[in-house]
Amino acid sequence: MQNAIITADHIGKIIDTLILIVVAVGASAALWVTANLLFNQVRSNWVRFNALIGYAVGFLLLLILQGNRLLKANGPDGSSITELGELLWTPFFGGFLFAAVAYVLSTTNNVNQRLWIGAGSGLALGLIIGARLAEQAQPQLEILTLLISTIVFGGIGAAIAVLRGRQYQPTLVVGSAIGAFIGGFGLPKVGNTYAAPVGAAQEPSESAATELVLLSSGSVWEAIITTGIVGALFGAWVGLMKNAGVVGRARIDAKSRAVIFLTPAMTFLTIAIVTPTLITIWLSLKDNESVRFVWFENYGTVFTDRDSFDVSNWTSIFTSRLFWLGIIIGAAGLLIGLTIRRRTGSGFTAGGPAFFPLAIAIVFVVFAAVSVLRGTFMNNVWWVFAVTLFSTGLGLAIAVLADRAKLESVAKSIIFMPMAISLVGASIIWRFVYTARDTSKSQTGVLNAIWVQLGKWSTGEGLLNLLGTILVWVLVLVAITSIARCLTARQYDKLPIRVLTVLFLGWIAIRFTFDGIGGFRTNSAGVLVPDTIDFVQDPPFNNFWLLLILIWIQTGFAMVILSAAIKAVPTELIEAAKVDGATESQVFWRVTLPQISTTIGVVVTATIVSVMKVYDIIKVVTNGNFGTQVLANDMFQEAFQFSNPEIGATLAVILFLSLLPIMILNIRRMQKEV
Amino acid sequence: MSSGTGIDTAIYSFLKRVPTGVLWLLVVVWSLPTLGLAVNSIRERNAQRDSGWWTVFTDDAFTLDHYDVVFSASATAGLVDSLLNSFAVSIPATVIPIAIAAFAAYAFAWIDFRGRKWLFIATVATMAIPLQVALIPLLRLWNFGAHWTVPFLDKTITIIPDFNLVNTTNAVWLTHTGFALPFAIFLLHNYISGLPKDLFEAARIDGADHFTIFRKLILPLSIPVLAAFAIFQFLWTWNDYLIANTMAGTNPDAIVTTIRIANLAGDFGRNEHLLPAAAFVQAFFPIVVFFSLQRYFVRGILAGSVKG
Repeated sequence: MQNAIITADHIGKIIDTLILIVVAVGASAALWVTANLLFNQVRSNWVRFNALIGYAVGFLLLLILQGNRLLKANGPDGSSITELGELLWTPFFGGFLFAAVAYVLSTTNNVNQRLWIGAGSGLALGLIIGARLAEQAQPQLEILTLLISTIVFGGIGAAIAVLRGRQYQPTLVVGSAIGAFIGGFGLPKVGNTYAAPVGAAQEPSESAATELVLLSSGSVWEAIITTGIVGALFGAWVGLMKNAGVVGRARIDAKSRAVIFLTPAMTFLTIAIVTPTLITIWLSLKDNESVRFVWFENYGTVFTDRDSFDVSNWTSIFTSRLFWLGIIIGAAGLLIGLTIRRRTGSGFTAGGPAFFPLAIAIVFVVFAAVSVLRGTFMNNVWWVFAVTLFSTGLGLAIAVLADRAKLESVAKSIIFMPMAISLVGASIIWRFVYTARDTSKSQTGVLNAIWVQLGKWSTGEGLLNLLGTILVWVLVLVAITSIARCLTARQYDKLPIRVLTVLFLGWIAIRFTFDGIGGFRTNSAGVLVPDTIDFVQDPPFNNFWLLLILIWIQTGFAMVILSAAIKAVPTELIEAAKVDGATESQVFWRVTLPQISTTIGVVVTATIVSVMKVYDIIKVVTNGNFGTQVLANDMFQEAFQFSNPEIGATLAVILFLSLLPIMILNIRRMQKEV
Repeated sequence: MSSGTGIDTAIYSFLKRVPTGVLWLLVVVWSLPTLGLAVNSIRERNAQRDSGWWTVFTDDAFTLDHYDVVFSASATAGLVDSLLNSFAVSIPATVIPIAIAAFAAYAFAWIDFRGRKWLFIATVATMAIPLQVALIPLLRLWNFGAHWTVPFLDKTITIIPDFNLVNTTNAVWLTHTGFALPFAIFLLHNYISGLPKDLFEAARIDGADHFTIFRKLILPLSIPVLAAFAIFQFLWTWNDYLIANTMAGTNPDAIVTTIRIANLAGDFGRNEHLLPAAAFVQAFFPIVVFFSLQRYFVRGILAGSVKG
């Protein structure tokens, strides 16, 4: 290899990433461990704990103020030192003042002393902070507002305490403190207020700020007075608290642990899941600029859009061969079931004679319906129906077949392996399988190669064609023999599925012998030429070929879970059934299947959830073109490519709501298992 | 079951073997797509384009050039950058949720506090929320930070500053971390709450605090479930496409392997011949995990089956 695999750039990048991760993880871990060690002091050393907590409170308070540039800069002439130093200088040293107050407070138990120490040092700290407040944070003192707010909030605090049957003093004081803060900073104007002078240029320029006219501003003295009052009140509140006794300390310890252990998780959940969900629901109710409330207009837009719901072509279902085939098979199945029910009382049992015809009929009719009714929603229905049904059914079949087979684990490993591959990788793998090339060249995709070869074979002449003809008729004959076998052995329950097999094989044999089957067509000159299927681009059945990729992946998942469940069925049950004369298939349908029905439920719901959210396959193979759009891809495109966040949000909420019943079911079942 | 003539019995003994035959037929069908990709990844460009991979025994057109290109610094097809990015996403997105979820699971299982049950149910309920619902606001959060204009007062408060996270791998793993938590907490809680109660009571009587119990008792005892979750989460994040594409898909310096190969697949066939090799390199780590840790892998997937 000429090119170096890892370049200096890469090394730099690795180091940068490592440093970031180590610092981020290390700092968070250190913080968490420190919090734990800090609260270990509650029981072992109360005074030290108080001093440390005092320091932490002071540090955080000053850090927030400094971080929001609400305090004056520290450097000479008010200019900043370095950015980080600037940020940490005040909190670091200011924290000691708070620590000292907390220390003094924790050493005395005299109620009056505590109150005066608290209020006095609170006042002092308030005065200091007020003197350091930056210009833009200096409030305009409105004595009346401050007083009224203080009294009102203090009253509210006291009222709450009285209503709850507690002592009123602490809440009165803390209420007044909050009131004083709101009255001092929240309600009046804070900082300097400017207005553009009349006639000044409107376009923004760098010197625009200096051209503005100063309307009003707070002053240092107003700031000092306001913060002093607020500080004194908060200090008094702290002073009113009693030093905790042994019981109180144990309570603080237990409560703080719950908070410490839960805070990281709850923070992430709130920031990453809960709040975004609420915002998305909110966005889905607003217009494109997220300004005006339109209530459910977006939902109306989505549901009336032809791209998401197109039923205009529904009459063509009656010309669909698939549909009529389904109807006929279904009618036959129904007839069989009803007849048996009249004789024995139960005609529609799992694995009974009516089971397979009805199942096949449902698949045919649903496929016919979704291939006629088009749109994003119908595609999702198709995906959910087909992938769930086939991957669960195939998974179950393979689990049964592999059970007790030779080299069971090898077979299962191979079927399961697609689970390890990314959906993107799987899509790429299958794109090669589906490749269709010009028919004058040889095919490179497996499926089209087989298809074209089959066409050539069945329409060709000579020995090969003859051999093929013999082979298909032998197969038909074998199937017919198995019917005869069923009749002589009086196993009528197996009959319908075998009849269907014979009909299917017979149809193939007739086509093979007379017309030909596979990839060929007659061109305008009346000559037979090879023909390919464009699996990816021919609607509507390209949807089926796309969802086949997911079946390929999900079958392994279903198989592993169901296989474990089958092995867990008690052998005594199966032995007992066999002693009673049940055949293999009766044992499966009547003993094994009911035993694993819960597990099948798990597989089905899990599959539905992952199919509803399918995105990668569509994105990589068609990007929603050729009538293959699905909800998740539509949502991504609307939100991030077409700048329609409100439609994207609406689609996301629809996805959420359609999954909600299943997820509730899932979660409730999981909690029962616990 | 032995009535009938000789030929009848012969056909029947043949039919009896059909199920096993069907099983192995399915196994072959299942492995063919992957096999075809593997074979094509070591065939010359023209051979790949003009003939199917099954002609490999006759055309003798082997080459390892595609892997050379994939491991080179090629701007369009080099995978090394994106492999590093994938690790930069997957490792923190595996380690950090485990730690955070273990804390929370311990608190839910063994610390008494008011509202414990309801908070736990609420936490587990967030599993019902699909990823898509959070994408738009999360992208905005990484883009601008979080600000809130207080109603009536008309003052804007910065709740989370803008850390300039958008289009970085950090935005990707942060998102993964958030979305891994509900399930991780649920899974670990199941396990940790099942540990014997006497253990904790003995430790508490000995004066051990929660922090010590967590460190010295819980962590060592929960290794199996931590390993299962780690494998599941690593594969999930390594194979993820949606989050990576949303949060960092437009920055060439931050894209992960799945996006890289998807882009390769989308560039109108110019690099089609490199695609099999690239897809194989991308799938290398999951497949290694699969075959070496299959038991844990299965356990992880099974446990993860309930994840939303």
